[in-house]
Amino acid sequence: MITRKIICLSLMAALILTFGCQRDIDLLEPATYPTSGEVFLDGFGEGLDYQAFSNSKLDAISLDVAEKYDGEKSLRVTIPNEGDPSGWYAGGAFITAGGRDLSGYNALTFWAKSSMVVPVGLVGFGNDNTGNSLYDASRSDLTFTTHWQKFVVPIPLASKLSAEKGMFQFSIGAYEKMGFYVWFDEIQFEKLGTIAYPRAVVASNTINAEAGEVVDAGVTAVTFNVNGIDQTVDAAPAYFTLISSDETVATTDEYGKITAVDIGTAEISVNLGSEEVAEKIVVNVISPSPKPATAAPVPTVAAEDVISLFSNAYNNVNVGTWNTGWEFSTAVLEEVQIAGDDVKLYTNLNFVGIEFTAPTIDASSMTHFHLDIWTPDQTAAPAAFKVLLVDFGSNAVYGGDDDSSHELSFTSPVLQSQTWVSLDIPFSDFAGLTSRRHLAQLVFSGDPNTVYVDNVYFYKGTVVDPTVPNEAAPNPTFAASDVISLFSNAYTNVAVDTWSASWDNADVADIQVAGNDVKNYSNLVFAGIEFTSQPIDASAMTHFYMDFWTPDPTAAPAVFRIKLVDFGADGAFGGGDDVEHELGLNNTTTPALATGTWVSLNIPLSNFPGLITKGHLAQLIISGDPNTVYIDNVLFHK
Amino acid sequence: MMKTIMRFSIVVQLIIVMIIFTLCSTSTEPESNDWQLVWQDEFDGSASQLPDTTRWGFDIGSGWGNNQLEYDTDRAENVSLNGNGNLAIVARKESYLGFPYTSARINTRGLFEQAYGRFEARIRMPWGQGIWPAFWLLGANEGDVGWPACGEIDIMEYRGQEPFRVHGSVHGPGYSGTKPITDHYDLYNDRFDMDFHIFAVEWGVDDIKWYVDEILYQTVTPGDVTGPWVFDHPFYIILNLAVGGNYVGPPDASTVFPQTMLIDYVRVYK
Repeated sequence: MITRKIICLSLMAALILTFGCQRDIDLLEPATYPTSGEVFLDGFGEGLDYQAFSNSKLDAISLDVAEKYDGEKSLRVTIPNEGDPSGWYAGGAFITAGGRDLSGYNALTFWAKSSMVVPVGLVGFGNDNTGNSLYDASRSDLTFTTHWQKFVVPIPLASKLSAEKGMFQFSIGAYEKMGFYVWFDEIQFEKLGTIAYPRAVVASNTINAEAGEVVDAGVTAVTFNVNGIDQTVDAAPAYFTLISSDETVATTDEYGKITAVDIGTAEISVNLGSEEVAEKIVVNVISPSPKPATAAPVPTVAAEDVISLFSNAYNNVNVGTWNTGWEFSTAVLEEVQIAGDDVKLYTNLNFVGIEFTAPTIDASSMTHFHLDIWTPDQTAAPAAFKVLLVDFGSNAVYGGDDDSSHELSFTSPVLQSQTWVSLDIPFSDFAGLTSRRHLAQLVFSGDPNTVYVDNVYFYKGTVVDPTVPNEAAPNPTFAASDVISLFSNAYTNVAVDTWSASWDNADVADIQVAGNDVKNYSNLVFAGIEFTSQPIDASAMTHFYMDFWTPDPTAAPAVFRIKLVDFGADGAFGGGDDVEHELGLNNTTTPALATGTWVSLNIPLSNFPGLITKGHLAQLIISGDPNTVYIDNVLFHK
Repeated sequence: MMKTIMRFSIVVQLIIVMIIFTLCSTSTEPESNDWQLVWQDEFDGSASQLPDTTRWGFDIGSGWGNNQLEYDTDRAENVSLNGNGNLAIVARKESYLGFPYTSARINTRGLFEQAYGRFEARIRMPWGQGIWPAFWLLGANEGDVGWPACGEIDIMEYRGQEPFRVHGSVHGPGYSGTKPITDHYDLYNDRFDMDFHIFAVEWGVDDIKWYVDEILYQTVTPGDVTGPWVFDHPFYIILNLAVGGNYVGPPDASTVFPQTMLIDYVRVYK
């Protein structure tokens, strides 16, 4: 009874299927395109051409009368060994020039076997080999075995295939370098009653995009339930209809792209025809993150003194990768242009490896490492950007106990947000980098998530001692007639008895910086500068002025003090008419101090309220925490 | 050339199909047509209404001896009319009293019990791994003699991962649990969750026959069972939708929720 039932049903099915092959229907209907579902039964279906894909083995297919699932012949595909000069793989498309109406079917089916058990690259339809196919669909999860099996490639949305030219396609490469045979038979389109419940495969249900940005919707495939088993077919974007809940926020197109229009949130429905087939994709459109408006400063170091990894200003050496993709690295690299200049943009940066091992770089004649960085992110302390250089040592390969490296951390105020920061780092700062003959890796890490990088190079420069000013203080521009100068190359100076009185606690040296005379105080606790022999009448002056440079910290609790003393009408120390006033300065006062740069202290005399007479100024006393101080252009002016 | 061959084979096939189709359809008709309708629920009524409590009671709870994962409730979210003449039993993925799923199980215990007759229901199935709907009968003397001595007639059981197949079984002493007397019926190129199908048993003194859409696929007689024949006293009807359990295994990531078992009617004949 049961046996008969099965025969009965299978023949009923044969009846149904046979209708799918009957061509006479076409003649009765005014359909523009034939509706035949036959692709290969015992030979190519009517009007079908085979076109091999480029770089594939051109003679990969043949008819086989020995191996077949049904009928007379099967289609045999010879998959070449890896390195076969006749082609890298077997692949091609069965194309009908006139197109067919496949909208009455819901699947491509075929029987297949192979000469060994192999995962198969791709089998599907919708590819007409023009490069412009809209409705490519394929399965890339199939495994063929040495027995004939039936496979189903569901049509994502059959109504789209009313004039389809791509009837069948496959692309199969060697398995573990080995070629093999695949046989296909009974390739046809069918209307199966067992295919149901399309569900789109969506990469993410939340997309964050910046206004103006165009992003991929990430809808790449459809999963169908085929007789109880979920089967996924990769589907071209044109199968899907993406519908935005708010087109003022985000719009969609037929190529699977979402354009972020304006700040807000939109929900994108993913439809196949009228059927919604996925959870809505929430698109959050945010304001564009800032990016550099101008290119990084163009390097000025002579090309012969540079080994450049990345710069439009130089010829660059070979860098294997700008993102090694090391485990746990989330960094994403994009090649962008800023004002016509090529720039590396890292986003989601936690750390990123940059490798140049072929060959490694000998920077032994170089003195500095340079790079320009720009970040939109917060750079206030404790935010840090770190630069690690790795030398592979004399064996020029990783490991072997001869590698050396050093990491430097840059923080505010060197690190700044939304401006190009040029780092010129002497190799001496990379103290742990004991060799730079086989430099091989550069690693960026730290807090800024988004970093633009440009002009990465090693160069031969002047080694600068950061504890000494390397340029002269700016020349004062006051008219000589308005100035009483104690110390300046720009003016005629009045007589000063001593720049370090016998009773003070400091050392002073006369030095030159870039040809300019400078007083260099060291071991400064307090220093007495006396001009008692010829007291200064500053009663017509309005300001005290001094250029100041220190390598020492200038943030509180550090304080640098300036005291002015007037000996009064008697012009001599004591006598009850002496007056004085002392100011304390640090990096937050007005004027503010700073470390490692010349600061011009231009202080109104009214800031010295205790100095009620100014006719017999006789002492200037400086003191404070900066132990090393360079001063220049000490004067009064009006 | 090709075309000619195709045409020829079409013709031959059509002739064969017609002959055998005629043969099949006559041989699978129900054997008796003089059934008298004695009890029915057509599930007419407004949406969200619970099933008629003069006909149905609720089994509230969990497990049911099968390690089912759902908690069965009497809430409209799990069991109610859909307003289109159907009863919907809905399995939901939700945390409820410590269980990860909810569903429902209703029965006619004490409300309608009958020995022998034709019991049928028209049902559209849910689908997916771990989904287990059933339309079945249980001996009304279970409270006295226990299971499996009371007998169980499974008119229809179905595994959501095999949407093309239904099973019919009897359980009794010596042939219960994992070794019932059972057979299955498969659809070809179709599935039970696409449309309604009619599931029935015709239970007589000498045999029980199982039908799908009026096609007889199993007959069990006292001589077929590996124990005493316990199908000689009144049974009551159960409709339920289980999630997980020994028979189907648990749902997995591919299982879509909610899942609905849609019952158009239940009719009982004498």
